[in-house]
Amino acid sequence: MGTMDKTRFDQGMTYHQYKAAMTRNQEKFIANEERVRLSQDDVNAFRARPLNVMVLAEDWCGDVIANLPVLGVIAMESGALDLRVFARDQSSDLMDQYLNQGKYKSIPVFAFFDPSSWKEVGVFIERPDAVTEMRAAKRREIFAAHPEFGPPDGAVDQLPDDVRARLSAALQKMRDDTTDQANAEVVREIRAIAEGKATRGGARQLAQV
Amino acid sequence: MTGPVKVRITYCTECGYESYTLDLAGALMREFGERLSSIEIIPWEGGTFDVRVGDALVHSMERDGGFPENSSVIAAVRGALGGTTSS
Repeated sequence: MGTMDKTRFDQGMTYHQYKAAMTRNQEKFIANEERVRLSQDDVNAFRARPLNVMVLAEDWCGDVIANLPVLGVIAMESGALDLRVFARDQSSDLMDQYLNQGKYKSIPVFAFFDPSSWKEVGVFIERPDAVTEMRAAKRREIFAAHPEFGPPDGAVDQLPDDVRARLSAALQKMRDDTTDQANAEVVREIRAIAEGKATRGGARQLAQV
Repeated sequence: MTGPVKVRITYCTECGYESYTLDLAGALMREFGERLSSIEIIPWEGGTFDVRVGDALVHSMERDGGFPENSSVIAAVRGALGGTTSS
């Protein structure tokens, strides 16, 4: 379980400061924000329990670009989450508390704290296992439908350039097609933490924090 | 020297591996210069960091874990070039 206090928390960037300071992927980040949909029931659930959230992120990371906007929209629409974002590679004191499997610096990390006691109430790391599994299944379907892509675990550098480009496009389309489902799963897991129904979200099978 | 040797570095764009890729490519350029036929850099996904020298996959992040030492890739290239010494 991680430790946090107000002094360290306040050293992080607000969500809007972080978004403004992004040096890459900002357009994609904003586009992902615009795709997030919350029900009124979700918003009410988050409003019932204000929390402070320590975020570890880097703007080159695909899982950060996908999942931090979901948390940001929850914070904006509920008004109940106070976020502070820290750059992973400049915050080893924080990252070391949340290593995936005790060794991997997987991001994003969302660590949720009670605003009065600073007791940690839950942690979300990287992406939901359900999303990983769903996309792995979709990926297998793509390879099954396109023998020219070779085996799913094949060496992509051995593919002709045009075939590799088609594979890349197919994988990107699959990720885009599954974004709404993935966002819904992230909302569901974060809500479970906020409601006290879970203490882990994201890569729960891997996280040993 | 044997035939021309090509090096391919496949890296994950979503993982921030650009610096490792460029560092390795630079080390190979400095070590071998024109003795390499090409160094191909392939942007990919999924946590990939693979290095192929000719037909041989000399490093795979999934298979071997982590990043290769530049020296180990240089040794593999030197072997593929027929054991010639560095210039």
